[in-house]
Amino acid sequence: MAFAAVAILTTLVIGIPMTLAVDRDARSGALIGLSYLYGCGAVWAVLFTLSLLHVRWTAMTTTVTLVAFSAVMWIVVLLRRAEAAPPGAAVDRGPLAMLAPIADLATVYAVVTFAMYATITRVWEWDFWAIWGLKGRVFLEAGGIDWRFLQSPFNDFAHPDYPLLLPLNYAYVAVTNGQWDDRWMALPGIVFGVALILIVRSLAARELPRFLAALLAFATAGVALSQYVGLADAPLIAYGTAAILFIRRGILFDEASGFRHGAILLGLAAGTKNEGLALIASVVIAMLIARASKWRDVLRLWPAVVIPLPWIVARFAFHLQTDIARGSFISRAIERIGDSGVIVASLLRWLPDPWLWLLMLVGMVMIPRTTRTAERFILAAVAIQAVWYLAAYFGTPLDVIWHIETSWPRVARHLEAPLLFVVMLTLAQAFERGETLAHAEARPELS
Amino acid sequence: MRPRTALTIACFAALVIASIRIPPLTLPFIDREPIRRSMTVLPDAGIWWPDYPRFLQAVRARTEQGDSIALFVPTFTWEGGYSYAYYRASYFLAGREVLPVIVPGDRRVPANVTRARYVAIWHGRPPAGVHVVFEGFGGTLVRR
Repeated sequence: MAFAAVAILTTLVIGIPMTLAVDRDARSGALIGLSYLYGCGAVWAVLFTLSLLHVRWTAMTTTVTLVAFSAVMWIVVLLRRAEAAPPGAAVDRGPLAMLAPIADLATVYAVVTFAMYATITRVWEWDFWAIWGLKGRVFLEAGGIDWRFLQSPFNDFAHPDYPLLLPLNYAYVAVTNGQWDDRWMALPGIVFGVALILIVRSLAARELPRFLAALLAFATAGVALSQYVGLADAPLIAYGTAAILFIRRGILFDEASGFRHGAILLGLAAGTKNEGLALIASVVIAMLIARASKWRDVLRLWPAVVIPLPWIVARFAFHLQTDIARGSFISRAIERIGDSGVIVASLLRWLPDPWLWLLMLVGMVMIPRTTRTAERFILAAVAIQAVWYLAAYFGTPLDVIWHIETSWPRVARHLEAPLLFVVMLTLAQAFERGETLAHAEARPELS
Repeated sequence: MRPRTALTIACFAALVIASIRIPPLTLPFIDREPIRRSMTVLPDAGIWWPDYPRFLQAVRARTEQGDSIALFVPTFTWEGGYSYAYYRASYFLAGREVLPVIVPGDRRVPANVTRARYVAIWHGRPPAGVHVVFEGFGGTLVRR
């Protein structure tokens, strides 16, 4: 456990200058959450680069390179001028402010008990030992990315095309430890969930009184701490949701740092799972559909495309196929249009957290129309991402019902956190309006 | 308080409640040992527990990085258990090259036996006259 904790702490420390280089005014929960997310991105980038340069991963080579990377980032921080700080949480003197620590304690309790569950034994999930953990372990043995393993037709089950951010972070924990030990490999995934909770808490506090922000963070714990222990869904939820929430800040409050964080986090989401690549398209289309952004804003997201590019190039160079794209995806999708009823019924049957979804829909209906208009970026991004998932099921080369049963309860949860944030935030603002608006920022009206 | 405001507050509160995952919250107050035991067995449930993972660990201890190992288990159908045995062996024997003798569609690949430096046989009898490296946990490791 100690080595996993050391690796996580090192990752977080490495991420601090990266966070400050992007946004010198990042503070408290957002600073810690972003630092872990960026630190994991740095580990991915460093181990990937060392591997391409044929430098064997050891505790020495990885640590020295990460420290050098961190030093460069500190120089960037020192050279960077501070921007006008985004409005932080005003001092909350409302009658419920004193309840905020209680809600925060409840969140801590939820995290601790989830950690007890996730670390009750070695990571047990099939997809951990057959995909994400397997690659981490194979690459550790090889001292770098084992391209021969990925290219072997016998290893198609390990999905060689999947992005490597999580396996390389597992490998980093093992490199720090000096050997593979899956007893505590659930810890990095738990910290991804905690990072998102901290970011949500911090962003919500900029627009809501403390108690309501704390309640929103508590609710987020339920969706950010993925029960699929050891899989890449927890990091994807963290990166994807944080990206959407920061881009929302960029759009609604014209925060340059919101676009910068959003772009990098979106790129790291694409480095985590193929669904992250789809999310880039969803976000761009949503920005344009929402008519909340100009092309100039969309172009600010260029890091989202640059960050996953090396992996995409490597994937093509090493001929690592995506199973879902094998054969004719489009003809399969067209053939299945006749089965739409069965597919939709199956999606509804296997929808996770149906009560939560129902309440989010009710909440959306209750939100005042002007607010809904302002928030249409998030609503559109989530809806478009859901359409990609739906399209993937229609075009899957696998048995579609089996595919839905085995993946939809997991991937549908990718969509929950951003939707939960925007619905709870706008509901809270609706009943706050006219009472204690002193802490809430003015929301621009969008046409 | 206007009815709409009350409904908004109720919806917000309901969302907080609906997002709670009850089972982990009770963990500090219950006996966790049965859960730990069932989660430990889960990846190898059925005929595989406890010997198959132990056999694979023993094979790992007796082979070197880069060695190739062909795998035999008491099923010759991919969906009937061979795929699981192969995936599991790939994890435990990471760093070695695990070679399946069955592939999807239940096609046999005898060439992988010829290619392999070792043959790992679980719940099967090795042919006579081969060099047995290890026997135990229901399996035999043979050097070719």
